[in-house]
Amino acid sequence: MVFALLYLQYHTFRNRLVSRFKRLKQPKYLIGAIVGGLYFYWYFFRYLFGGFTNGRQPGAHLTFPTEHLQLLELLGALVLFIIVLLAWIIPHERAALTFTEAEVAFLFPAPVTRRMLIHFKLLRSQLRIFFSVLLLTLFSRRFGGNAWIHALGWWLILSTLNLHFLGSSFARTILLDRGISNRLRRLLVLGLAVAMVAGVWIWAKQTMPGLNSASITDLGSALDYLQRVLTAGPALYFLYPFRLMVRPFLALDATAFLGALVPALLLFLLHYLWVFYSDVAFEEASVEASQKLAARVAAARAGNWQGAKKNRKAKRPWFNLASSGPPATAFLWKNLIGVGQAFSPRLWIALIVVVVVLCFSLGNAGFHQHVSWVVGIFIAIALAYSLLLGPQLLRLDFRHDLPLADVLKTFPLRGWQIALGEILAPVAVLAAFQWLLLVVGAGLVYYLPGKREALFLAIALGAAVLLPVLDLLLLLIPNAAVLLFPSWIPTGKDSPRGVEATGQRLIFMLGQLLVLTLALLPAGAAFTAVFFVLNFTVGAATAILPASLAGTVVLAVEAGFGVMLLGKLFERFNVAEENAS
Amino acid sequence: MVQVEGLNKLYGEFTAVSELTFSLQSGEVLGLVGPNGAGKTTTLRCLAGIIPPTRGTVQVGGHDIVRDAIAAKKQLAFFTDEPRLFDYLTVWQHLNFIARIYQVADYERIGAALLEELEIANKRDALPGELSRGMKQKLAIACGLLHSPRVIYFDEPLTGLDPLGIRRMKDSILKRARDGAAIIISSHLLHLVQEICSRILILKNGQKIADGTLAEITQKFSEQPGDANLEEIFFRATSETNAGAAPPPLPH
Repeated sequence: MVFALLYLQYHTFRNRLVSRFKRLKQPKYLIGAIVGGLYFYWYFFRYLFGGFTNGRQPGAHLTFPTEHLQLLELLGALVLFIIVLLAWIIPHERAALTFTEAEVAFLFPAPVTRRMLIHFKLLRSQLRIFFSVLLLTLFSRRFGGNAWIHALGWWLILSTLNLHFLGSSFARTILLDRGISNRLRRLLVLGLAVAMVAGVWIWAKQTMPGLNSASITDLGSALDYLQRVLTAGPALYFLYPFRLMVRPFLALDATAFLGALVPALLLFLLHYLWVFYSDVAFEEASVEASQKLAARVAAARAGNWQGAKKNRKAKRPWFNLASSGPPATAFLWKNLIGVGQAFSPRLWIALIVVVVVLCFSLGNAGFHQHVSWVVGIFIAIALAYSLLLGPQLLRLDFRHDLPLADVLKTFPLRGWQIALGEILAPVAVLAAFQWLLLVVGAGLVYYLPGKREALFLAIALGAAVLLPVLDLLLLLIPNAAVLLFPSWIPTGKDSPRGVEATGQRLIFMLGQLLVLTLALLPAGAAFTAVFFVLNFTVGAATAILPASLAGTVVLAVEAGFGVMLLGKLFERFNVAEENAS
Repeated sequence: MVQVEGLNKLYGEFTAVSELTFSLQSGEVLGLVGPNGAGKTTTLRCLAGIIPPTRGTVQVGGHDIVRDAIAAKKQLAFFTDEPRLFDYLTVWQHLNFIARIYQVADYERIGAALLEELEIANKRDALPGELSRGMKQKLAIACGLLHSPRVIYFDEPLTGLDPLGIRRMKDSILKRARDGAAIIISSHLLHLVQEICSRILILKNGQKIADGTLAEITQKFSEQPGDANLEEIFFRATSETNAGAAPPPLPH
């Protein structure tokens, strides 16, 4: 029987690989594969094969000093501790080994024992772990060290974690069967975790100087303090098994690796025996899980990542929609409800409260100057990333609705009305996020040394005017791309994976950057012209807002043409031909 | 209400619909039948303005579906075989959204009545993911009927419905026709077509091979008087070689 399962696993993998190669006959995949291959070679593989610049790999200077290896081991152990803790707290369902619907249909009624199914599941997860190990090794290898040690270290960590997740799901089921509810289990585990943290805290308070801004002057002293807390007292015992898991990965040579390997393998073996001897009925929950998995895969392939993530709940609209008025508003209303699945008003309020409380607490603790600069830099980076990644992440526009293009086409609306409506929601969400950052940034001005409130506030105001139109323009590009090259971008038909898909995404990112640069040139020229004229007469702070308005007007004109063009593209979008292709 | 003149739809070299001409009056129910790949769905999509015809014209309520698309689309509703819904809008939010798109002033009253008629009033706050296949179909129908269309296209309207749902759907179609709507139904269910359609149009390889009442088509294709079974006539009309060829036998 085990050979039948191996046969299934082998041929599933092989056929998937063959179909990947076969599709390279299509230029879109071939070009994507070439670009993706070059990317992977350039960033990862050339270091693996020794092609270092000047004899050493870039990033090698980031290698942790040997004396801090223990700290690294502790931090790794701490991360694993948190992951394991969450595995005991967050899940609420019974043990469910996720099989595909086909596997459930064929294997569950077949004369296959429960343990055989567990082995099949473990075997299949090894394939996933193998690829994760490959990618993680390629990444971690950039920072130096032996590739084989890294690979085996990653494999041990991921495989032991995988077994632990499975074992904990079995234990959860046993507890449920014995009348211990999820709530009680969570309370017990959380109580235990709190007791452990409290124990470490009390021990540290009694034996070491307290944590305050006077004793911790830089990152080095903070790390030293952390190392002292975690290498003695109760934390030493709490983290010990997790340190055993991390140790092989951090070994500097083969001898150290072999020394660390034995206890780590023993831990792995204990986990295996735990899973193997747990006699838990998982079939019923697995059938349900496989159906959910199929739904999630279908949602993800439709570009609907929010639908893929979790069970949906009905959301209230952000505003009331009257039956008369501009039809584009209906799309904004509709898509905001969809966005509400991830960005609820409660989340926004929580975000603001966390940021404000954190700033004030740290400010009162004597860190206000540091905090102001750190938060200021964070805001600048977050704004830049919102422009770069925001339009890629917020996809409740044509990229989400294209599978329903035939429905949209029956609406008695012009193309531009649908186009405008479709992209309004991501623009609104992005702009709201950016304005929130700007408000926090403006508030920080009062903490900064050498105050220049007028200039900073003028920059924030100028950015607040410019950003929504810039967002609109940025969102037009991927939406136009999906209408022009629907088979290149995942919508409702397929979601390509692998090197070729990475290459396709890179090509699109470069194309987007090029179009954006061209679009920004006239707006930049308008901004610069107005700024230089006014700077000499009324000063920089006063000149920024009119200059931003001038830039915004140019961007708005461009965006207007863009919306009209997008509408034309949608009107010409041939649903039948795209479905046929 | 619907005027189709020389409709052609080509995909590259492939002809999906060829020189299709017919018209449909208010209150008529036209059954569009044909084997797989005959061009039924393509025809309906052209008639609904989802895909443009390669040649020919389609007029809905006197408006050209290509040149005067907005006015034409305001008068029609198209129900696909698979209900196409927004997965994050509740039943009532769907109606609210459609009301704004079609500017239906009194949508709350009409919507509530439709939900009652279709027996999904208790699912008002449910998401499509919480509805059965049949209920999704009913929601799609409620959305389509909200603006009181004068022309309605159905593509396989009975797919996924239970026997009671099928009965209600038939009654609903006939009620709309009595109220003056022009209806086209594309279906493989010949007994449905025979039961509720006042006219039948048979397509094969994108070409019209018959158009008329059941009696007229029977007269054209039957071998003996009184042979009025649409299934028999369908096989005769669409058979490749022998006019009277029977369908292939079932395996034992």
